[in-house]
Amino acid sequence: MSSPVVGIVANPISARDIRRVISYAGGLQITDRANMVLRILAGMAATGIKKTVIMPENAGLRGHLMRALTRSKNAGDGHFPEIRTLDMPVTGDATDTARAARIMREMEVAAIVVLGGDGTHRVVVANCGDIPIAGVSSGTNNAFPESREPTVTGLGVGLAVTGQVPPGIAFTANKRLDVMVNGSLEIALIDVAFVRERFVGSRAIWKTECFHELFVTFGSPGGIGMSSIAGLVAPVSRSDRFGRRIVFESPETASFAVRASIAPGLIAPVGIADVQTLQFDQPITPETRAGSIAFDGEREVTFGKADEVLVTLRDGAFRTIDIEACMAHAADKGCLVEQAEHQTKLKQVKGG
Amino acid sequence: MSATATAVSAQGSDSPFPLEKDDLLSAYRTMKTIREFEDRLHVDFARGDIPGFVHLYAGEEAAATGIMMHLTDEDRIASTHRGHGHCIAKGVSVHEMMGEIYGKVSGACRGKGGSMHIADLSKGMMGANGILGAGAPLACGAALAAKKLGHKGVGISFVGDGASNQGMFLESLNLAGVWELPVIFVVENNGYAESTSVDWAVASDSYVDRANGFGLPGVTVDGTDFFAVHEAAGEMIRRARDGGGPSLLECKMIRFHGHFEGDAQTYRAEGEVEDIRNNRDCIKMFADRVSEAGVISRVETDAVDAEVATLIDSAVEQAKAAPLPDTADLLTDVYVKY
Repeated sequence: MSSPVVGIVANPISARDIRRVISYAGGLQITDRANMVLRILAGMAATGIKKTVIMPENAGLRGHLMRALTRSKNAGDGHFPEIRTLDMPVTGDATDTARAARIMREMEVAAIVVLGGDGTHRVVVANCGDIPIAGVSSGTNNAFPESREPTVTGLGVGLAVTGQVPPGIAFTANKRLDVMVNGSLEIALIDVAFVRERFVGSRAIWKTECFHELFVTFGSPGGIGMSSIAGLVAPVSRSDRFGRRIVFESPETASFAVRASIAPGLIAPVGIADVQTLQFDQPITPETRAGSIAFDGEREVTFGKADEVLVTLRDGAFRTIDIEACMAHAADKGCLVEQAEHQTKLKQVKGG
Repeated sequence: MSATATAVSAQGSDSPFPLEKDDLLSAYRTMKTIREFEDRLHVDFARGDIPGFVHLYAGEEAAATGIMMHLTDEDRIASTHRGHGHCIAKGVSVHEMMGEIYGKVSGACRGKGGSMHIADLSKGMMGANGILGAGAPLACGAALAAKKLGHKGVGISFVGDGASNQGMFLESLNLAGVWELPVIFVVENNGYAESTSVDWAVASDSYVDRANGFGLPGVTVDGTDFFAVHEAAGEMIRRARDGGGPSLLECKMIRFHGHFEGDAQTYRAEGEVEDIRNNRDCIKMFADRVSEAGVISRVETDAVDAEVATLIDSAVEQAKAAPLPDTADLLTDVYVKY
């Protein structure tokens, strides 16, 4: 049986936006990102993954990776799988992420590991079809990817795609929001916010006076970004069979307001006018008649009164790898136990 | 629930943009003036009418305009060899600029500096600069002066992607961080240091990373999007005025012309320039957006176009008619009297 190929998307353009100035958001340096990729590779190699592909970029990430891989090869330590760079042009923006995800889909890679925040994950999901993804939190707003050591993500992905963890445990189906603007589809993994500003500008949204309306697939009280507003008002989990819609109002006139973590380092009062439950496959026309639409925290589309906009919550829209479940299964079944006799010993320890 | 929308919009103006109509028209006029100015130089230089060298800013107008709209004459900028756009956006007279480029006494520097040394201190324009990266310490000096004088002014340093490799630029990032200066470093990344791609010449080419290394926050924006530049620059300048310290803004942009006039641009891909002119023209994108939103009509932008064409015609005509400096002028303006 041939070894499964795993794709890696790490776009250096992520975590570079205005939230560094307005709200002290973090910005991982290129070398840190390269080291994260190396740790993912090390984790995957430990589970038997031999081949990987990575998106190209021109910000120095590849050079750092290749130096490490050459050193490892010279030392003969076998820490890393083979890594091949996709043959595609580099534009230096989010279109690189989209193009790489599409190519990986056509290649039918076993999984895609994504380094980035909500925005990067959204672009990958919009282009990767049914290929499962695993997120590594390294963006500006990280509500979607969980915080976890990349080494362990690499292990979990490797265990999942090599079949050491059954698909029913390894893969999770996720909700998604579809937004049709004049028949053209845009998606969001977590939230769709309608704001009054009718320009994309620097993309981030933080001016609460411009907030109109919010749709979420999930929202946790402990989350960050727009979805945290839903988390504070009416939490909804990733696995709940519904979503939420919230209509905003000025905090001065609203019947109540919440202090929400609308961006890293930025906590602001948000007035709540109405809260509704979203059901699957029921298209909703937003109240907002003109402005811009932010998908997972970033303005992408502007619209006016003449445009037709519909928001629909979808079920089972894309797959993720449940790293925690994979590792739990590995521990339970001894997938990472070194030798057969040690398996017996492990059973005795567990039994004892 | 329609009352919700009313309540929110009542908090601000009805404009869907961060600027009112007059300011949007002003932004369009500035960008169009830069474009017309540069396109005219492109033609006149090829005809041999202009002495020296010129480096044109066409295609990059949104960056200079988006930043400069936040500044007053008290704020000081240090420009680059590609400085015409910065000058115009900072309010320097196009007649004086054209005179300077033609080497005439009607020029901003009495015709002694030419394209790469246009300055107008009354407008806070400390000078275009033929020395790559040399504007950064000047902007630090201006920012230090503003801080000491307590007048809330800021210094802005423009630098290209190539010049950002200069030691002076990196030393200035350090100085700005150490002294917490109200200065913003703008990296105008048009992808080429003369003919060398940034992919070949900049180690770890994230300028944001470089800023972070000196403790400055950095932001990357699409420099062809006026609104992206305007919004990010506005936050950075406000932060600096409020004592928040220095920051770095990388504008990813494109130039329509070569590095210098006469550059055959053999290093650019076939069809690259045509593609960006057709699809990434910052002025066209701006005009489309404000027009689609129903804020500024095509009739109004056409009127600005005509007004700008007349202005540039007049500037060229005046520059050509003006006398050259006299030999006696060689010994004047060498030192400043205090």
